Amino acid sequence: MNPPAVHCQQIHRHFGDGDTRVHVLRGIDFTAASGQITFLAGPSGCGKTTLISVIAGLLQPSSGAVSLFGRDLASMPPDDAVRLRRKDIGFVFQQYHLIPALSVAENVAVPLLAASMKRRDALEQASAILDKLGLGDRLHQPPARLSGGQQQRVALARALVHQPRLVICDEPTAALDHETGHRVMELLAASAVHPDRAVLVVSHDNRIFHFADAIAHMDDGIITHIDHPNSTAA
Amino acid sequence: MIRIALTMLRTDRAKCTAMILAVTFSVFLMQNQCAILASLYRMMTAQIDDVTDAPLWVMEPDTRCFEQAKPVKDGTLERVRSRSGVAWAVPLLKIDTMARSDSGLLCTVTVMGVDEASMVGLPSRFRFGQPEAIRPAGTCAVDPGGYAQLFPGEPVHFPRRIRILDESLVLTGMTEASAPFTGFPILHCSRVTALRLNKAENRTATFIIGDFTPGANRAAVCESITAATGLAAMDRAGFGEMALRFYNSQGVPRLFWITIAIGLLTGTAITAQTFSMFVREHTTQLAVCRVIGVTKARIIAMVLCQGLFVLSIGCAFGTGLTAITTHAAASEPFLRGIVLPPQVAAGTCAALAAITITAVTIMARRVALMDPAIVFRS
Repeated sequence: MNPPAVHCQQIHRHFGDGDTRVHVLRGIDFTAASGQITFLAGPSGCGKTTLISVIAGLLQPSSGAVSLFGRDLASMPPDDAVRLRRKDIGFVFQQYHLIPALSVAENVAVPLLAASMKRRDALEQASAILDKLGLGDRLHQPPARLSGGQQQRVALARALVHQPRLVICDEPTAALDHETGHRVMELLAASAVHPDRAVLVVSHDNRIFHFADAIAHMDDGIITHIDHPNSTAA
Repeated sequence: MIRIALTMLRTDRAKCTAMILAVTFSVFLMQNQCAILASLYRMMTAQIDDVTDAPLWVMEPDTRCFEQAKPVKDGTLERVRSRSGVAWAVPLLKIDTMARSDSGLLCTVTVMGVDEASMVGLPSRFRFGQPEAIRPAGTCAVDPGGYAQLFPGEPVHFPRRIRILDESLVLTGMTEASAPFTGFPILHCSRVTALRLNKAENRTATFIIGDFTPGANRAAVCESITAATGLAAMDRAGFGEMALRFYNSQGVPRLFWITIAIGLLTGTAITAQTFSMFVREHTTQLAVCRVIGVTKARIIAMVLCQGLFVLSIGCAFGTGLTAITTHAAASEPFLRGIVLPPQVAAGTCAALAAITITAVTIMARRVALMDPAIVFRS
């Protein structure tokens, strides 16, 4: 049996010291399986963003262990962690975070260029995925000329272009209206879900929860319960 | 990724232009002042350096530089020649006087009367005419800048006539004499001619110039001349250094150094400040690159390349501007000695580059060490 894509065990994370010490994650046990969309839901300030930062290797947990695809992040040399992120993780951000100076195709090609792929090959691969996501006619435009929904589709293409095994989406619909957000989620569900890939979505937008295979509800630094909305089991 | 970094920089046109302009201005200011200072330094010793065939210089002890020299006593020449270690010695007479061109233009000139037998004391090259043509009394050669001052706007042709006091002189050619510190025309003639123009002074030589015998200890020979004559004796390099020390003590170079420092500080401050704003505004984009898996080293390289791009364009523009202005200045007779030495161009760019790259590296390190998780918070 394959190990889960993401496995967190008793994750604690605090910031500051003494009187200003804030305990943000208070013993998180969490698993995200490949082939599924797993939601992390909860109110603002409950620790969702801190948890995905820890899962992505951007923050070290104060205690506890995180493993991605069976590899323990804590025991990984920093260079390996960067390589893992470059190769195996795709990111979709709430504010898209596209680089305004680059064209749509160049933005999507960034993860490939970061992996030292030749520019021409990277742009070809980027164009192919943009074509799939319905943006084939916008390749050379700057992101500023696109609508919010289109920009998020570009961000999605950037997250998927290097065929990662984990896609982390941080509030992917928060900056979009309901209809556009719904369409982006449909696209995410259609294009990102793959038997060898886990999709982790941070969101507090309950209108898109029906896309989830599992929803981990967080509050005050702990996971309170996990739902399986699409489960047929009674 | 470097290409991406440069695209990010180029598309932020306002900041990119501001940074390039800051570097351009700084390089221009520094190079301009350095070029003038270097040219002045060169001019301070120009007439000493022009006399390439006489390494030994003897002069009155009060002399501080070529321009401020009082004549030596008659009979000095023989006493210098008689010293052991002196291969040969000849007189050189320098006079500052007024000349009038054939069109009536009045001009202060420096007349150099060289020994008519050996012709030692002439610049090593002539642009027009021959050195021998100034041997007869009443003839002389002029330097290129001097010709332009005496005959402004007129084509170069010889012979031409000028008057000094009540003497008529024929200009027979043009020397390649270096531009003097005073900016006055330099006329080279035989000492016989020069003596006819030296109405205010009875003495017949300003300097005794000569050479050391092969293998002689130069310092010992100079000491022996001083002991015997009471005059200052030194080799050409020593005279040049003494002249530079004298001019340095006058304070003018210090003013130039202050302007150069202002150029350096202003340029680097504006560049560093604008670059810091640029990097701060692009922190999130660089953080996204970090999150996506770009290494810290690559992020530093990206920021450094942006800095180097601005620096190289600014240095190129600044150097180009300085080259244009110094070239334009050199065509003016009084400013003919102003040049941009390659060492000055390279040195000023290197100084600015060193400070700017240090500042950019500090910023690049700061960006590389930032918390990339800010992308989830902004």
